Formats: sequence, C-alpha cells, structure tokens
Amino acid sequence: MAGSGTAHLRPRDEVLLQVEDLVVEFPAGRGRTVRAVSGVSFDLARGETLGIVGESGCGKSSTARALIQLPPPRAGSVRLDGVELTTLRGEALRRTRRRLQMIFQDPISSLNPRRRVRDIVAEGPRVWGAAAPVNGGVNGGVNSGVNSGGAGRADGGGLDERVDAVLEAVGLDPRTAAERRPHEFSGGQCQRISIARALILEPEVVICDEPVSALDVSVQAQILALLEDLKARFGLTLVFIAHDLAVVKNVSDRVLVMYLGKTCELAPSEELIARPAHPYTRALLASIPGSGLGLPPADRLISGEPPSPVSPPSGCRFRTRCPRAADRCAVEEPEIRPLNGGDHFVACHYPDI
Amino acid sequence: MIILHRLVRLVIVLLVVTFLSYAMLALLPGDPVTQILGIGANDEARAQLRQELGLDEPLLVRYAGWLGALLTGDFGTSPITRVPVAAELAERLPVTLELLVAAQVVALGLAIPVGIAAARRAGRALDQVLTALSFALLSTPVFVLGVLLILLFAVTWQVVPATGWTPISVDLGWNITSVLLPAVTLGCGQLAVYARLLRADLIATLQEDYITLARARGLSPRRILWRHALRPSAISLITAVGLNMGALIGGTVIIETLFGLPGIGRLIVDSIFSRDYLTVQGGVVLISVGYVLVNFAVDVVYAAVDPRIRRA
Amino acid sequence: MRRRLGLGFWIATGWIALVLAAAVLADVLPFARYDETLAGPPQTGPSAAHPFGTDGLGRDVLSRVVYGARVSLGVGIGAVVLGLAIGAPLGVLAGYRKRAADAVIMAVNDVALAFPALVFALAVVAFAGANLRNVLVVLGVLGVPAWTRLIRGATLSFAEREFVLAARVLGVRDRRILWREIMPNVAVPAASYAFIGMAVVVVAEGSLAFLGLSVQAPTPTWGGLINEGRTLMETAPHVVLAPSVVMFLTVLSFNLVGDRLRALSDVRQSGLEPVRQAVAVLPAAEPRPVAGALLQVEDLRTHFLTPRGAVKAVDGVSFTLERGKTLAIVGESGSGKSMLIRSVLGLLPGTGVARGGHVHLEGDELTAFTPEEMRQVLGRRLGTVFQDPMTALNPVRTIGTQVAEPLRVHLGMGRGQAREEAARLLASVGIPDPARMLGRYPHQLSGGMRQRVTIAMALSCGPDVLFADEPTTALDVTIQDQVLRLIHRLREERDMAVVLVSHDLSVVRQWADEVIVMYAGRVVERGTAADVFERTRMPYTEALLQAAPRLTDPAHHRLRVIPGRPPDLAAVPDGCAFRPRCAYAQDRCAEQAPPLLSEGGHLHACWYPTGRTMTENEGADSHGR
Ligand SMILES: Nc1ncnc2c1ncn2[C@@H]1O[C@H](COP(=O)(O)OP(=O)(O)OP(=O)(O)O)[C@@H](O)[C@H]1O
Ligand code: SF4
Ligand code: SF4
Ligand SMILES: [Mg+2]
Repeated sequence: MAGSGTAHLRPRDEVLLQVEDLVVEFPAGRGRTVRAVSGVSFDLARGETLGIVGESGCGKSSTARALIQLPPPRAGSVRLDGVELTTLRGEALRRTRRRLQMIFQDPISSLNPRRRVRDIVAEGPRVWGAAAPVNGGVNGGVNSGVNSGGAGRADGGGLDERVDAVLEAVGLDPRTAAERRPHEFSGGQCQRISIARALILEPEVVICDEPVSALDVSVQAQILALLEDLKARFGLTLVFIAHDLAVVKNVSDRVLVMYLGKTCELAPSEELIARPAHPYTRALLASIPGSGLGLPPADRLISGEPPSPVSPPSGCRFRTRCPRAADRCAVEEPEIRPLNGGDHFVACHYPDI
Repeated sequence: MIILHRLVRLVIVLLVVTFLSYAMLALLPGDPVTQILGIGANDEARAQLRQELGLDEPLLVRYAGWLGALLTGDFGTSPITRVPVAAELAERLPVTLELLVAAQVVALGLAIPVGIAAARRAGRALDQVLTALSFALLSTPVFVLGVLLILLFAVTWQVVPATGWTPISVDLGWNITSVLLPAVTLGCGQLAVYARLLRADLIATLQEDYITLARARGLSPRRILWRHALRPSAISLITAVGLNMGALIGGTVIIETLFGLPGIGRLIVDSIFSRDYLTVQGGVVLISVGYVLVNFAVDVVYAAVDPRIRRA
Repeated sequence: MRRRLGLGFWIATGWIALVLAAAVLADVLPFARYDETLAGPPQTGPSAAHPFGTDGLGRDVLSRVVYGARVSLGVGIGAVVLGLAIGAPLGVLAGYRKRAADAVIMAVNDVALAFPALVFALAVVAFAGANLRNVLVVLGVLGVPAWTRLIRGATLSFAEREFVLAARVLGVRDRRILWREIMPNVAVPAASYAFIGMAVVVVAEGSLAFLGLSVQAPTPTWGGLINEGRTLMETAPHVVLAPSVVMFLTVLSFNLVGDRLRALSDVRQSGLEPVRQAVAVLPAAEPRPVAGALLQVEDLRTHFLTPRGAVKAVDGVSFTLERGKTLAIVGESGSGKSMLIRSVLGLLPGTGVARGGHVHLEGDELTAFTPEEMRQVLGRRLGTVFQDPMTALNPVRTIGTQVAEPLRVHLGMGRGQAREEAARLLASVGIPDPARMLGRYPHQLSGGMRQRVTIAMALSCGPDVLFADEPTTALDVTIQDQVLRLIHRLREERDMAVVLVSHDLSVVRQWADEVIVMYAGRVVERGTAADVFERTRMPYTEALLQAAPRLTDPAHHRLRVIPGRPPDLAAVPDGCAFRPRCAYAQDRCAEQAPPLLSEGGHLHACWYPTGRTMTENEGADSHGR
C-alpha cells in the first residue's frame, strides 16, 4: 500500500471500465474526514472479472459505490466505454448508471420486504419503459438470450415473460417464486432475486459487493457457480469484491489487493497466489488456515492491528505492521510499478521477488 | 464540547419559549387592553395597562424589556388582583413542586419493581397480568383516574380527604395525607409508562450476548440482573423520565384543579377564568422554563452515566 | 394476518367503530336530545329508558355521552390528520433529503419538543377562545413535532437500507423510490402511531374540557361530563362513571389497535417463539462414563417446542474430550452447533425446551446439578467465548470491572488483587498496556482487542475446558489468525481442552485434533482431523469440502454444488436427513436413518459411505467412490 500511480492501467480503448485516482471521503465527526479510498486506479476489459480483496474498512465497498456514483467520488475519474461518469448529473447520470448494476452483501436487506418478487425484478424495466436495452446488440443481452420474443416491450405480457425468463435464469421457479415476498426465501434465494433484478436491465458491468459473505458454504458454491454461468452466458463484466481470497481467486481473472484505501498489488489471480510480492498480500495469504502455499507463519509476516483510517501512517500505510519496513517506507509513498515488466503490479519499495 | 453545544441550545430554547409565552399575550386578537380588562374598564385603567405593557413599541423591543424585567424577578402586577405575579407564583410553587416530586417518587418507586418482576418472568402469568394492568393504566386519563380514586378512597371508604391542602409548615402528617391521593393519581400514568419501558428494555437486554456470557461465567441471576442488565436499562429510563416531564406537568394542572390544591396549575386555570392574563402568562413562563431546565438536566445526567456518549 | 393481530385488536376495532357510528348517527338514534331536561326523573340510575341513567337536571346521560363522542372523536381524528398532514411531509423531507433540510427541520423540532404541550394548549385556548376549531388546531399543531420525528426516523431507517440503494442503481427516480420503496414501509408504523396519537388527543381534549376550556356548554364533551358529574359523586355516581368508562374504553381501544399494528411492522415472523411450557425431559440412554475423559457428552438432546412442532436443534449427540485436545464442531448455519454448546453448558432458555442426555465433567454429572451447583462449574471449570466480540461485553461497564468480576465472585479476591490479576490476564492475551485498558469501555476497543478481552475473561479462573463458539467469524483474517494462535497457545500453557465451533472447514482443519461434523442437529461424522479430512466417509462432509473454494485450486475451478439447503429442523425428513441433497442416495436412505457406526474410532452415519481417500491437492471433479 500502499501506493498510488497508474502504471498498471491499460490503453483506454482496450477497456470497458477505467477508474483513475479514485478518492472517496466521509465526514468523521468533529470536522475531520476519513479518506476511505485514496487514489485507487484500475480497469476492466470487456468480459473480464476483477476481484478486489482487503480487510474490513479498507475501502472495498466505498470503491464499489463510487463506481455507480452513489455517492460520487470526491475526486478521480470513472469512465464507462469512454463516458466520464463523475461529471454526469441528473438525468444523464441516471441513464448511464443502469449500465452498471450492483449486488449487495446482505441478501435480506437488499430486497424491499413489502414488495413481491415479481415487482422487485420488474422495477427496472418499468422505470425504463419501452426503451431499447442499452447494450442489446453488444453482448447478446439477457432478454434476447433468454427470451427473444419479449425483448423491448416493457409492459403487459412482455414484461411478465421477461421476469419469468430472468427468474428461471437465476434458478428460481417463476411459478412459485414470483408472487411471494422476500421474507419467504432463504438467504441464497434472496441473493438469486437480487441477481435477477440486476440482470434484467442487461447491464454491461455488474458490481458484486461481498455477494456470498452472508451465505453458507454450500449456498456460496451455488451462487458462485450461478455467477460464472451467467457471466459466460451473457458476456458480463464483473467487479467481485470479497474479503475471502479463496473465493475471489475462484471467480476472478485479475485480483486487486487493497489496504487502508490504497492499492497494494494487482495481478492475474493465479500469479498473485503463486507469487505474492507485496508484504501485505503475503500476510493475507499466510493468515488463511491450511492455505498450503508454503508461506512462513502469518505471525512472522504481519503484526498488530490496522491503524485508524482517520490518521493513516505517513509514507507506506502498511509500514506499521510490515516486517520489511525500512526508513524509506515512512517518508516516501511507494508508487505502483510492474514486476518483471509483466502484468503483475505492486506498490512496495521492497517487494518479495 | 458537548456540554457547550447543549448550553447554546438551552439558551435558544429558553428564548423561544419565553418569546412565545410573551407573544401569546401580545398577539391576542383585538385590542389586548380590552381583552385583558374587558369592555367595561375605565380609561384610567386602560391607559395604565397600555403603559405597563409598553404597547406602543415594536413587539421585539417590548419582549426584550419584558425579559429584562423577568430576569430581575419582575413578572408584573396583576391588574385584577393587584398582587405582584411573582409573589403569587412564589407562594404556590412549593405545592406544585411537592406534587411533582411525590408523583415521580410514586411512579418510579413502583415502576422499577413492577418492570423488573415482569421482565424476569416474561411471558408467564405474572408478567401478563402486570402488562395488561399497565396497559389499562396507560389508557386511563388522569382526571378519570382521579375521579375514580376520589370515589373509592374519599367518598366510599373515606380514608383520605377528597380535596384540600395542608402545607408542610403547618403539619407534616396532614401534608402527606393531602398529597397522597393526588400524587398517586398523577404518578400512576407515569408508572405505566416507566414500567412498560423498563420491562421491554430489560427483556431486550437479558437476551444480549453479554448476559448469556455472564451466565456462562457462573454469575448468579441476582448479580446478573443488578450489575449487568439494570444499568443499561436504567439509562433508557432516565431519558423517559425527562421526556415524560411534560405530561407530568400538564397533569398537575388537572390534579390541582381536581383535588383543590393551591399550586401553579390551579392558579393558571383560575386566572384564565378571571381573565387575569398577566398571571396566566407568568405561570406559563415559569412552567415552561422549569420544564426546559429539567430536560436539560436529564440530558446532562444521561450523558454522564452512559459511557458510550461520554467518551465518544 | 387475522390471527397475528389477535382477538383484542378486533374487539377494540369493534368498539371504536361502535362509538364512531353512534356519534355520527346521534341525531337519529332513539333517545332524548342531550340538552332536553327532565327527560326522566333527575339523578336516577340506569334503567331501560335511560341505559346510563339521568343527570342532575334529568337529562339522558347516554345521549350526552354519545353527543360528547362527536367532540372527542372529531377532535381526535381531526387533530391527528392535521398533525400528520404537516408532520409527515416534513419528516419525509428530513429523512430522505438529509443534510441541510434535515438539520433545519430537526433543530426547529427539538425546540418545539421542549414545550410542555398541555400547558401551552391550555394557554393558547384560553387566549384564543375555547371552541372546537381552536382546540383541534392547537392539539393538531402540538402533535407535529412528534409526527415529524417519527416519520423521519422511519424514513431514515429505510432510506439507508440496501434495497433503496438498489433502486437508485436501477435508475429509479427519487419520487418513485419514495412512493414505491419507502412509503409502504413507513405506512405501518405511521398507522400504528396514528391510533396512539388519537388516544393522546382524546385524552388531551378531555383534559381541556375537564378544565372547562374545550367546546363550551351546552354542547356536551366527555371531559365536561366528568367534571359536572363530580359534584354528584356521592348521590349519583353513575353520572360520572358512565362517561369515564366510555372514555377509558375508547382510549384503551385506540392504544390497543396502535400497539398491535406496531407489532405488525415486523414483516418477518419466525414462528419459532417457544410455546410456554416448563422444561421437559427427554428419555436418553443410560450413562456409561468413559474412564479418563475430561468431558463426556452422551446422547444429548435439545428440542424447542414451538407451535410448528418440536425443533430438534440437538438430537442425540455424544462425544468425549481429553485434556490438551481441541475438538472442533463444524456444520452449516442452523445445524445446531451453538445449541450443542449451550446444552452442554446448561444455558438454555427456561421455557419451551425439552432436553435429555448426560454431560460428565471429570466424573461429575453436570446434567444432574442444581442451578446453584452449576454456577460453581461455569466460569471456574468451563470457560466460554462467543462469536461476536461487539456484543459479548457489557457496553456500560469498564473492561477492568468485567474481567475482575469472575475473580472476585469465584475466587473471592479483593478489589485490588482482582485488578492486578485482571491486568496480568490482559497481558497474557496480548493486550498492550493492560493497566490502562482496565479503565476503558468496550466501544473504545477494536474487534480483535475485544475478543482478546473475552478470552481473558473466559480464562480468568483457569477452566478445564474452553468453549469457543465461532470465536473469529466476525474478525478479519489476519486478526483471526492471531486469535486462533492465541487460543492454541493458551491451551498448551494451561493444559486445558478446547471445544471450537466453526463453519470454516479450513480453520477446523488447521487447529482441531478431533472433528465432529453436524447436520440437522445430529453428528454425521466424527473422528480425528486426519480421518475426517483425508479419509472422508460421509457424503455430506465430502460435499462440503468440495464446495469450499481453495487457494490451491486453479482460478475458475468449478466448485461442487450441493443442491437445496439444510432441512427445516421442525420437519427433518425420515431416513437420512441429507438424502434430498445427496448424490449417492438410494432407496434405503429414505426408509431407515443410518446409525452412527464406528470404524476404528472413525464414526459416520451413512449407508453408502464414500471410500475414497482425499488428498489436499486432488481435483474435486472426480468424485469417484
Ligand atoms: N429459542 C429457540 N426456539 C426455537 N428454535 C430455536 C431456538 N434457538 C435456536 N433454535 C433453532 O435451533 C437450531 C440450531 O441453531 P444453532 O444456533 O445451534 O445453529 P448453529 O449451527 O450454531 O448455526 P450458526 O452457524 O448460524 O451459528 C436452528 O434451527 C434454530 O432455528
Ligand atoms: S516494505 Fe515498505 S513499502 Fe513495502 S509494504 Fe512494507 S512498509 Fe510498505
Ligand atoms: S445414508 Fe444415503 S442419503 Fe444419507 S448420506 Fe449416506 S448415501 Fe447419502
Ligand atoms: Mg452458532
């Protein structure tokens, strides 16, 4: 971490979503502010899954919400297919935002308890009326994928069919599920409903904020498998946020490791697990019981507790817990840079290579 | 820091409250002098009152002058009784205060054991009876309860006098007798509020993990109740006491009328009927300011006993 | 819906409807007008002609009460509508818009709430004139601050829920979000408060009328009737009792309806509320104590008796544990892990539970202990740590008091000695600057530090067994590692045994000596960690292992999906409980429950156990048998 820089970004025309120098701040009382996200950059190619990992409070969710501009970030840029989202306002923002959809951690609280599943899922098309799907032609689209007849018609029978089709796509039986209310479903089923609600708008990017953290192992596997299937079927681009590295590795093409609002390391998931270079990534991996990676015990790779985000350490933010920390780490913030000129990037003065 | 913030708010609230009390009189429909003195008053009295009220000045200026006088203890002199309002209030304040304190003692004194008893046996017969009783009590208007109690204790069984007041200075025993029924009447409504609150709060607290863990450490139920559960619940009770002060003060007006006690509330009501508006105003100001101050005190106490606020 | 509201609700609604109808139809009802004197002989009690009797002027009391209801209910409903009409928009604005609008509205509101309402109402009515309109407006306006606060609170609590965020992500406009997502949720608490508000206003109007400051005579009002009736209390008590009782019943009904509606605002209802019934004892096998065991649990059962039937949270669990060993209990959510711990410790709710089986601690049968005897065991010989360190400490007591408490209660230490010992304990669990920590409150500590404190408390009296129920589930992975390491180290140092509950297979694999796998309240596999993880026999255990992603698997590795979800413990299927989800199930599995059989100490409950040996890096797709 800690670091900043944009050396890891790919050319703009190759990526669907590009995030540069994102800064998110919150008031922390007594006139102070917390920088929950402090200069994070990343990008996503179409059809790619980017995993974001880090411990609680490292700014994962704030990053996710800044992507959909809820609330808009304090600074930085979020570009979707060349369109800058941070400067959009009002109607234009609303229109663009639907191309990004989100799935939340708490399956229960992300569904309105007083609405029927059918209304919850149909809300998006109802709001957007007969408007053509934003990206209908680009990747096939959910609606054309599951129900070529009903695409484009948002009212009457057409909408019902679309809802049924998307419910079926997420593994729910529309006949039994559509007319019921969320509290009649288990956590895993609620998460499926959330996914259906997001997919029916045929988004280009789906942001999943800890979508399986509240679920049991067996249900977690079901949802992960579902996401992989849907991604393949509809050509989705995913941002997948979780605190569990094993889960993130399982679904991601590339993984971004965050600590206290900064980027530590970014690498293809296999590479990251096989050759973790940042001291924090190594500590994270070593802390996972029975990881079988042959790392030294975690207590030799990390010590103490995370510092307060209100007054983060100078220089490298990980230095208070880092066994490799040297004088330079306290005064100079490490810039993100490529390792061996490849697609593995790290922000550390003394990475483990 | 927090205290300073509250102090600023206190001053603002006090200004608003006193201003409204003042404006009420000044904004009477029609000519306030006529309103106050009635149509038949002679010109001399009218002119004097007009001058006393400073009616020729703008409202805010008059308010400032009035407030200044108020701070020196000058509430004006009643045009009806020709007695300084401050003197009248001072004479009656002890009665109302005694009633309030006694009612609060009755309410808390009963509510705490009732709330605890109900919470400890939540769901069982005793709890259901106590809960139903407090719900009924909660739904009984104070004057209905008062009438019923008078009917039973003063009329039917004749154990206490129905009305009348003996000051402490005259005879302590009779004083207690005369405040007993009014205090019980006034306190009962609050008793129900407090008992229900304490019960609900204690039940919630007793389900917390830290209570289960205290049991897992082999602590006795008595110790768990008194040392672990009651303290957080007592904190919410303090808030309730502050919030209910308003209802209690409103109740004194009725109780004093019903039981013929010479307190501020009775004074206000009597003055309304004798069109002694200056006295009404004085009484309202006194009660409102008292209420605001009590609430402020509760706030401060609350902040002092709840470490989550104190150290936050 | 009907059953949930209860009989009282419907009776109360009926009464309100009755009073309302009578008030509306008063002019056509067959009784004397309220002001007709000598409608009957004065001061006579109830009779057929005058059901509520007559008053001092011979007027019909029933008629006067009914006409009085017009004023009471009229003001009650009118004032609530007025208060709601002003307060609701303000509350919604404050709750949904937040920031400036919220700050301004709530500041004004705070000031408004600082008024003694009744005294102000009194003064205003006195000054402005006592008539229906003034009373209604004053009481209505005085209700505005409360309405604003209530609606704001409700709006706020929903505006921050994720489904509102989700609607915005969908591109829904604010107005639609307010109407579709927030309003339906705010409506129920608002309706509930409307009824309670009516009760408040009816009482307030009654108070004003009692003082002679509401609608003026000759129009009757309830408060006025009670005031008049007072003078006849000794000779004709019915004159005061009739309006009193009617008023009481009406206020009670409003309160009751409001109260029941409030209970309704919780959409979810578990149906798991235990029925009220004393603790029952289930039959269990005869105890057969095993020599040398520190802790022995035999055929332990805990069933919750609910309206849906018995929830078999723990159903015949047995195990033994030796000193210096860690026993892990794994299973999915709801499999009964926590209830097993609580059953062993005897920490079950007092009602609605049936229990059976035996727990032996070094030869003492704990299940036969009285609560008093059990308290000597808890804390002293058995220590406990729970999942959520945020709720495990009393928020209003200092760390020092809490850590010192068991020392003082169980070991009889004095205050000073207990504090010293507490500081030493805190140091032993790795808390820096323990002396200063003693004076702190829980909310000043991080989650990891709090969990260390709870561990220190559990260890304070040197227990033989430490029960840790998901001790690290709420913690970050780097902190989890520290805490588990700490527990392990303390186990070694103190030669105790640890019972570690977890749903995380990798945690169990690393830290446990012996493992129990639970499914639907039962043990389905038990053995050494090596047995369970490397020589898995039970299909459920195998499926769990393959469903959990592992770092050593390649990216996009296909996880094993276990279809369905764990059974409802009130209706566990016959035969093997895992059958509906099992890939190997055959007919026999549906008919007969498989017994827990031992193969050289490795127990499993399956008719067709998997025979394969799983090694750590083996691909999971090839689940041969
Ligand atoms: N008071 C109660 N009344 C009725 N049923 C209950 C009660 N408490 C728990 N249960 C039921 O007992 C079963 C076992 O619960 P338990 O908490 O032991 O599961 P667990 O394995 O610890 O789950 P988790 O992993 O979620 O902590 C659950 O089905 C639960 O619904
Ligand atoms: S070595 Fe220095 S720069 Fe690298 S993580 Fe440690 S403290 Fe930061
Ligand atoms: S008994 Fe049958 S259903 Fe149960 S786990 Fe074994 S094979 Fe599967
Ligand atoms: Mg549990």
